[in-house]
Amino acid sequence: MALPPNAPLPLVEPVARLIEAFNQLPSIGPKTASRLTFFLLRADAEVAQQLAAALTDLKEQVRLCKRCFNITVDELCPICTNPSRDQSMICVVEEPLDLLAIERTGAYRGLYHVLHGHIAPLDGIYREQLKIDDLIQRVRTEPITEVILATNPNTEGEATAYLILKDLVPMGVRTTRLARGLPTGGDLEWADSDTLGSALEGRREL
Amino acid sequence: MHVSSLTLRDFRNYARLELDLSPGISLFYGPNAAGKTTLLEALFLLATTRSPRASSDRELLRWDAGGEAGALPFARIASDVHRLSQSLRLEMLIQLRQEEQANDVQLRPQGNVQKLIRINRKPVRAFDLVGQLRVVLFTPADLELVHGAPAQRRRYLDLTLSQLDPHYVRTLAYYNRLLQQRNSLLRAWRERRRPRRAVDDELGYWDAELCKAGGYILAERLQAVAELNSILATLHGDLTGTAEPLVIGYVPRLAYPAELGDLPDAEQLRAALHAALLHCRTDELQRGQTLLGPHRDDLTFAVAGVNLGLYGSRGQQRSVALALKLAEARLMTQRSGDAPVLLLDDLLSELDMHRRRHVLHTIQQPQQQTLLTATDLSDFEPEFLHSITRLRVETAQVFAV
Ligand SMILES: [Zn+2]
Repeated sequence: MALPPNAPLPLVEPVARLIEAFNQLPSIGPKTASRLTFFLLRADAEVAQQLAAALTDLKEQVRLCKRCFNITVDELCPICTNPSRDQSMICVVEEPLDLLAIERTGAYRGLYHVLHGHIAPLDGIYREQLKIDDLIQRVRTEPITEVILATNPNTEGEATAYLILKDLVPMGVRTTRLARGLPTGGDLEWADSDTLGSALEGRREL
Repeated sequence: MHVSSLTLRDFRNYARLELDLSPGISLFYGPNAAGKTTLLEALFLLATTRSPRASSDRELLRWDAGGEAGALPFARIASDVHRLSQSLRLEMLIQLRQEEQANDVQLRPQGNVQKLIRINRKPVRAFDLVGQLRVVLFTPADLELVHGAPAQRRRYLDLTLSQLDPHYVRTLAYYNRLLQQRNSLLRAWRERRRPRRAVDDELGYWDAELCKAGGYILAERLQAVAELNSILATLHGDLTGTAEPLVIGYVPRLAYPAELGDLPDAEQLRAALHAALLHCRTDELQRGQTLLGPHRDDLTFAVAGVNLGLYGSRGQQRSVALALKLAEARLMTQRSGDAPVLLLDDLLSELDMHRRRHVLHTIQQPQQQTLLTATDLSDFEPEFLHSITRLRVETAQVFAV
């Protein structure tokens, strides 16, 4: 006889707590959470210790780059401190994962700016929650000649690009958008390198 | 078009059902609450992805659905659909939403149920299902269409157009999403949660996209109303035996320039909508919502110049509702060359002899599949009963007679 669906499982507290913690992560449901917990319970103590240390370091050591808001352990990220990167171009992305996707194409040698999200009033995300003002400030003070708006090709990404463009137009800086051809509604993060590379290559002036 | 089968599992009061359906008329009869309407509802769901009656999709699942350990409870509807050019197997799984997905901002929980859809065993998005099977549902609640809230009348047009045109479904969904974003933006200003700075810049993108989608929706609706009116010019008179045409009036909240004529195109309407939106900026900021666009429009129904929504008797309103549904079916046939499946829920018992004869004539056309429900067979002529398939429904079981 199966337990009624909402009955509390008879688990000791540390086990229940870890299941609960895993369950809060995206794409992990109660079943996967239990499986991970029992795996760690059986595994060598080392495995759990390494995981615990990695998690602590993640929150203690990783921070946002002061200049471009990419993730970094130092004050500036490796891209910002790399002198061979083209200092006159900024590619604007929504998330650090989008930056990685563009890096994977090998087709871009300039700098980045990570917004950390997109405009979505419905979720309470407006321009002030994003790093838009910081971007405008950079364009004003750094020797930037081109800004590539590489926000996602969906409604929210387009709305974000539109708002940034409005600010950039009076500043006279060349502003471009990735070429069409990326799957509409999709995430840059998931686009394959070839498609993303040619979208970057064929970027159009706004 | 017609459906040759209907399979249900844990759907409302049905545990399991495997039903073969004839391409002609099938009459489901039995006591109240036996599950007759549920059969029509299942087909309506497959046609539109939405239930005509559930206030929450959670109610679609049978109370003890999905007993197997580990699996989330689900209900399943499947049907084989035969269209002029092709046959399709449509399936819908209605599943309790996993907690992990409810946490995800991308998938906003609607109730706590998700619908998974397959066409010919291939998973597709909900949009792609709409219009594969076309149905017109007639129910006693159709009266609401005439005297109920404007939303009911917009829904009438939207359901018709959505089943006919995949682009309409997508644009309407896109429009509604834009509308929610735009309203959230306006509300934040109204409630002074944000400074009113660069308002035009912040609204710019939403305005432009909303008007593009809105102009298209408006143009499509005006076109559909024109076609429905030419159908109703004779249909309503035939139905009531009065020779008086029923005239649908489309009442846009947007007062577009008269020089655009009766049927402006999408681009003209986009431009008019954009100009009007800019004009009511102050109002919108004060009210915190989008005041113009197809989501605020309404229909009127008039016979001999009299608005029957306001001044019609109950009988007149019932005729209007019936005429609108019959016209919807004819519009679908005209546009696609393929008659929709008619679902008549406990309808004939409410009609007088003349109207009933008209409806029976319609459903007895060749190539017309109709599913009827009734509580009592004594409402029907023996001759009619012999010419159709009768099925008895009792406590969520269907028996061939
Ligand atoms: Zn950096």
